[in-house]
Amino acid sequence: MVFSSIPFLFFFLPLCLILYFAVPFLWGLPWKGSSRLNDNLENCIPWKNGILLSFSLIFYAWGEPVYIVLMLFASAVDYTNGRLMERFGTTKVKRTAFLCCSVVINLSVLAFFKYADFLIATLNGIFGTQIEPLGLGLPVGISFYTFQTMSYIIDLYRGEVKAEHNYFAYLTYVSMFPQLVAGPIVRFADIQERLHKRTSLVCEVEQGLTRFVQGLFKKVLIANQVGALWEEVRQLGAAQTSVASAWLGALCFTLQLYFDFSAYSDMAIGMGQMLGFHFNENFRYPLTAISVTDFWRRWHISLSTWFRDYVYIPLGGNRAGRWRHLRNIAVVWTLTGLWHGASWNFVLWGMYYGILLALEKYVWGKALAKLPRILQHVYAFLIVVFGFVVFAITDMNELGTYITLLFGVTGKGIIDMQFWWYLRNYGVVLLVACVLAWPVYPWLQNRAALLERRAGIVLSVISGVGSIFLFVLTIAYLVNDTYNPFLYFRF
Amino acid sequence: MITNSTIRRIVSITYCAIILLLAVGFMASPKKEFSENENRYLAKEPVLSVKNLVSGTYMESMSEWLSDQFPMRDFFMGFKSTVEIGTGKREINGVYVAQEDYLIEAYAQPVNTQRIGETFRNFYEKTDSSQIDMRLMLIPTAITIYRDKLPSGAPFRSQMDVAQEIYQTAKIPSIDCIEQLIQGAESGQLYYRTDHHWTMYGAYQGYLAYCEAKGLSPVPLESWSAQTVTEEFAGTLYSKVNDYSHPKDSITIYTNPNDRLTVTYVDTGEVTDSLYNLDYLAQKDKYSLFLNNIHTCVEIENENVESDAVLVVIKDSYANSIIPFLAHHYHKIYVFDTRYYKEGPSHFLSEHAEVTDVLLLYNMNTIDTDSGIRGIY
Repeated sequence: MVFSSIPFLFFFLPLCLILYFAVPFLWGLPWKGSSRLNDNLENCIPWKNGILLSFSLIFYAWGEPVYIVLMLFASAVDYTNGRLMERFGTTKVKRTAFLCCSVVINLSVLAFFKYADFLIATLNGIFGTQIEPLGLGLPVGISFYTFQTMSYIIDLYRGEVKAEHNYFAYLTYVSMFPQLVAGPIVRFADIQERLHKRTSLVCEVEQGLTRFVQGLFKKVLIANQVGALWEEVRQLGAAQTSVASAWLGALCFTLQLYFDFSAYSDMAIGMGQMLGFHFNENFRYPLTAISVTDFWRRWHISLSTWFRDYVYIPLGGNRAGRWRHLRNIAVVWTLTGLWHGASWNFVLWGMYYGILLALEKYVWGKALAKLPRILQHVYAFLIVVFGFVVFAITDMNELGTYITLLFGVTGKGIIDMQFWWYLRNYGVVLLVACVLAWPVYPWLQNRAALLERRAGIVLSVISGVGSIFLFVLTIAYLVNDTYNPFLYFRF
Repeated sequence: MITNSTIRRIVSITYCAIILLLAVGFMASPKKEFSENENRYLAKEPVLSVKNLVSGTYMESMSEWLSDQFPMRDFFMGFKSTVEIGTGKREINGVYVAQEDYLIEAYAQPVNTQRIGETFRNFYEKTDSSQIDMRLMLIPTAITIYRDKLPSGAPFRSQMDVAQEIYQTAKIPSIDCIEQLIQGAESGQLYYRTDHHWTMYGAYQGYLAYCEAKGLSPVPLESWSAQTVTEEFAGTLYSKVNDYSHPKDSITIYTNPNDRLTVTYVDTGEVTDSLYNLDYLAQKDKYSLFLNNIHTCVEIENENVESDAVLVVIKDSYANSIIPFLAHHYHKIYVFDTRYYKEGPSHFLSEHAEVTDVLLLYNMNTIDTDSGIRGIY
């Protein structure tokens, strides 16, 4: 089930929330004998978790009725190893043994389901062997929940988190539907306390709802639309594509990926807030970065911090000399690329960033910082857009052709009618997307807060009416539902 | 006192209310079987079983059912199109919103050109051309003739190049009506504004080209009695665009007072004296009034034609508008829609020696995906 779909928005989510919020009232009924608020809050958490867990399992089973077993297995492995580490982990060796057991199982499952066919295809390519691919479908969300559950066991090993004793609470964490299939990658340490003690304040529910709806707008009204244009450009064929159209396509894919993915994070964070959880921000306007280093502090933050804390720093980070540092960059970025998909273009994409980061660190970083601000933005933006072309096209031949188009090897010239036609049809949505990629919304909010009272009210009425209009429009698009795939669904 | 937080609260409550009202509306409203607007059957409530659950088909059909039966679907579709057109979008679901209120279907890259030509050639080679005069007519659609009405910059792909390719592969003597259509464009409406078909006036231009090629003398348009049967025609393109503010179109039919027709629908056994079934005017799909919608085989006899010329027409729905003109020149016409006629017209020809003429007539837009062409031969 995707968030931006009729079954989820009109049936699954309302039903889940109604039951979830009904729990304290049911628990507080006179015959339960408790009138004290605090008792009430703690007593109803298992019920709330129970509802959340049931709905999460239904949510997962909706798309993966069979592979749900895999998720249950993965969480059971880490839960058990956690308990064992706590009970028997008296020495470092024993603790390491439990850690390894858990990590090896997790990574093998991930490797088997995600990378086996890639490996087979590569071997066949190199040695000319004829090994049959396994043809296994990739279980939804496996890359996300494997990383989540590994964060628990590693943090436990390091003593940064307490072992969880309640399996259902742990499973609730791993399977929690808001962030199950496309992140953000939530660490157990950030959420453990609230798994056992949380409240839903009305104002938080309201904030969460607003955040969720904003995410919905971004996904349906922007990401899907620019995505449709990207598909049009891609299907145009090399002979029909002018240089301008090719760059427009690349821009569209960049915008699509950013709005799609950050919308998903917005919706996850919003729903988490409604349920009483606080997930960390996953995006901070990455397209406005001023360098590649800056971009990766703003893009998919939960993934880059995961790699930083669990791979890069344990390897020695940048503190073990230049060559070790370069090696660490190479390892982390090849893995980051591979995490995004089992295909060579993702490896290329990861290495592309690894090399650029190393160059910024050791070659032109200082010079770059002295450039005018606008040039820094342009520099980072072009690198990002070009990078996403590599990211977008899995087929190496098609990728090569597309890159030559970008650099002017086309019979259609620099600019053609087709390009203007695209602008005419998609100009408005492109403009809105380009503006919203910058932090205009928070800026406007700050500005509005400074207004005198009456003007402030008028402004909120206008934005309120506008939001409801956009909400109805979003439903209209969902009903029309011609184009609604989630890009990150298969990672 | 109104504060910003009150307004925010009202907005949040409105979101919830919209969601809940639509959910309740779904549960309370009667479920529809068929959508006239989309011309298709809607998904039915799925049956729950272990097998469906494990394979995931239950969830898929559940999602389809919920979306298909969603309340106020038509309103939402219309709202989306209105907003899109408002933002300058001029292509919606493969249809251009063109000048003079024309909706014009885009011409997709054809992929079956070679196969279609070869099927036609096989059919042609199997028939005895000393006995039967066979002709192939490929009709360009509005995007070719009304190219000047397209929104500026709209991508254009030539239909006539593809038509030439098919003519050359098929080797059947062709009748090209494009010149006639361009001439006719000056004094009448060739295509419907809301539908992908040509009007009867457009079909008359095709008829002129046909007569010229076959050496027949065409009956001037003035001698036919014209009758505008509806002004409320919202055709297939209208349904694709769903802009409810778009003006509807009219349908004009022509009859020849001198013809005495017997029309037999072989598949259903119906017999009438008219090529039009005006009962369809009460429905959304009004183009179906021509030749009573889709029939695998129709027999048309004109008592007032003395000659013993017998014509077989193998065609798509474009031909339904030209046959009333052709019926004036043939004692008997057999009309086949090979999408549904499974025995194959070549079999029919071998059994009916009285056939003197064969006309293959298709429009260029749907020929590439026409599932019936394989069935010709």
